[in-house]
Amino acid sequence: MKDFKVLKILDIFKFIFEKAGIDYDVMRRILEIKFTLDGRRVPTIVGNSSSKKKDEDSNSFIKSLGVYLLLGIILVFFVTKADNYLYQMSFVFGILMFMMMTSLISDFSSVLLDIRDKNIILSKPVDSKTLNMAKVLHILFYMFFITISFSGPALIVSLFKQGGIFFLIFLAEIILMDLLIVVLTALLYLLVLKFFDGEKLKDIINYVQIALTIALSVGYQLLGRLFDFVDFKNVVFNPKWWQYFIPPIWFGAPFELILNNNRETYLITFSILALLVPIISIIIYVKLTPSFERNLQKLNSSGGKTGSRNNRITDFTSKLVCRSEEEIVFYRFATNMMKNERVFKLKVYPSLGFSIVFPFIFLFNGLRNGGLEGLVSSKMYFSIYFTALLIPTIVMNLGHSGNYKGAWIYRVVPFTDAKSIFKGTLKAALMNLILPLYILISIIFMIIFKGKIIVDLIIVFLNILLFMVICFRTTDKSLPFSKPFELAEQSQGFLVMIITFFTLGLLGLIHYLAIRTNYGSYIYIAALIIVNIVIWKNSFNIALEELGE
Amino acid sequence: MESRDPIITIRDLRKSFGTKEVLKGINLDVYEGQIIGYIGPNGAGKSTTVKIMLGLIGGYHGEIKILGQDISKGNVEYKRKIGYVPETAEIYDNLSAREYLTFIGELYGLNYKKADKKAEKLMDLFGIGNVYDSRISSYSKGMKQKVLIISSLLNDPDVLFLDEPLSGIDANSVMIFKEVLSELVRKGKTIFYSSHIMEVVEKISSRIILINNGMIVADGSFEELKDKSMEGSLEAIFNELTGFKEHRKIAEEIVSIVQEVD
Repeated sequence: MKDFKVLKILDIFKFIFEKAGIDYDVMRRILEIKFTLDGRRVPTIVGNSSSKKKDEDSNSFIKSLGVYLLLGIILVFFVTKADNYLYQMSFVFGILMFMMMTSLISDFSSVLLDIRDKNIILSKPVDSKTLNMAKVLHILFYMFFITISFSGPALIVSLFKQGGIFFLIFLAEIILMDLLIVVLTALLYLLVLKFFDGEKLKDIINYVQIALTIALSVGYQLLGRLFDFVDFKNVVFNPKWWQYFIPPIWFGAPFELILNNNRETYLITFSILALLVPIISIIIYVKLTPSFERNLQKLNSSGGKTGSRNNRITDFTSKLVCRSEEEIVFYRFATNMMKNERVFKLKVYPSLGFSIVFPFIFLFNGLRNGGLEGLVSSKMYFSIYFTALLIPTIVMNLGHSGNYKGAWIYRVVPFTDAKSIFKGTLKAALMNLILPLYILISIIFMIIFKGKIIVDLIIVFLNILLFMVICFRTTDKSLPFSKPFELAEQSQGFLVMIITFFTLGLLGLIHYLAIRTNYGSYIYIAALIIVNIVIWKNSFNIALEELGE
Repeated sequence: MESRDPIITIRDLRKSFGTKEVLKGINLDVYEGQIIGYIGPNGAGKSTTVKIMLGLIGGYHGEIKILGQDISKGNVEYKRKIGYVPETAEIYDNLSAREYLTFIGELYGLNYKKADKKAEKLMDLFGIGNVYDSRISSYSKGMKQKVLIISSLLNDPDVLFLDEPLSGIDANSVMIFKEVLSELVRKGKTIFYSSHIMEVVEKISSRIILINNGMIVADGSFEELKDKSMEGSLEAIFNELTGFKEHRKIAEEIVSIVQEVD
């Protein structure tokens, strides 16, 4: 087993722990095990980009710190100028708190919520004080490293640009903020567990992970643009009552208070809140820990009822789009899998988020260049094609599942060809993921472009249908939900991505040319319908045998 | 025999989850060298009793003494002499067996080298020595169960709590394990064995305790229980004492539903 440097540092403080009645050696051993386990987990922040090699103990946590370091550069811009401390620093703490909270929830929930600890460790001669201290230290170590990497660049720059006092306030507040966030997260879990069961909590964690992934990619795009608009020098702050409930503003206030000697009442109030609330919340947390532990037991129990209302909708849509009984079976199966499988959601939902956002980012650009009237009369609505970019992601991920081992079921059922399996699954993806999204964006586009684009929207939809099958044909075919996710990124080459994107571009181009001629769009629609019918009929004749393990 | 001090004494143990009372006054004395077969229907309170004795669940009423020590006092020393195989295979399965077992050994106060040596030998004897350094997540169910059994034996416990310890284990290993249990008992250890497999319980237990609805409804050796209830097997006694007589009717219904094809 590896020796962890942090633990050697901790050894210096051994006597403090022993004085507090903690079995230091046991605590150290528990931490050692926990760190080893952490090294074998892949944090969300790197999870989507890195290929997962199975090499032993390549500490993926260290790797994720590099990502945090890079992301943290954005904070540097806020601390170089000294225009308006309250705004700048509220912003910084807004970003910091969001990042810390989401990464704590998405990656360290397993620590807060591990009920194995209790059964494995407490059944041994270890008292709960020692275990709890190990857990707290574990989370604090993690928070410490992430915070240092994320805020490190800004901290160093601030020391040179803004001087020592600024640096010290910044550092002290970061520590307070970390405490607040650990407690807030724990309290959030406590609240959820009080009213719901473990499954619900896992769902919530899942959605936070998805939100983190979306926010990271989209947020940074938008944040860059924000700089063009916001002129920090000229904003005048007038306090409103609701601002007393926004923690980042509390943390922005002390800078103004101390560095600019601004003694406004609201600044003093904010500063007091920044200091007191974290301390009070720690006290509340300590008081609530036993109740937290008790509620944790619910994690295992699941009164997980899946609504019968959903079933009726699935029943209805399946009969609408499926031709055979077998197809309906797999339509329903895929619908349920996509709804319940958390890893699938984590892989696919972020791209749902992108495909909502991207069309509008382009509209946004158009708006800035030509004004609203220029935009409406332009062909900018073609940006709706960006929605279709999520289709390759969906199609590739449909073959994968966290519970891929369940796929033996395909081999024991009396089926010879995979036609209805694939068709039902793709249709389920269309009806559950793509269509709702497309309709939503279409409605917004109809409002912006005043309804005249309905024919184009129909063309785009037919193209999407066609594109789905093209994606299916170009990517490796594997039975739905039958492969582990680790293989998802590796097996599908970059080339496939290029081919599919190129195809989409081509379809869009034909569309663009078609609407320039009279009746061109109607001819294109007719052609698309025929092509779609043919291609949907003929693309799925695959024998089950061909799909080897 | 009764003159010896009991290893475990339980007096009027009650426990409620919310408004539901799961244990309604358990009284029990367990003596050295007994294998207690602790049986009962699902939800009767078996695992709860075991977990309370291990200090995993608090907030109970009544008194429990293990190895002469009142466990509610917060002193965990008594656990040094206890081994535990939990019902659900809870284990840090991203660790290798070496990492996991040495960790558990050290929690019991063994030093690393000794724990490692002992664990490796036991792994070998259970026929899974070749995967000692592979991650537990790659093990089959039976292999995981063997690791759990080994982890419960590392500290040379005086009292063993086994909750369905044989699930997934092959017949040869089961034979070894049963032999190990009787050998341990001969050496003066006490074993608390809960399981749903009545044949095993019937064979290995020197004393059977049947719990139903949070109360002990039968307590004695298999022979005593047989005499009392006039039934031939533990399974039949179990059915009788838990008031379950409809198995034939339910079975018939199941088969008729299985045959429904339209």
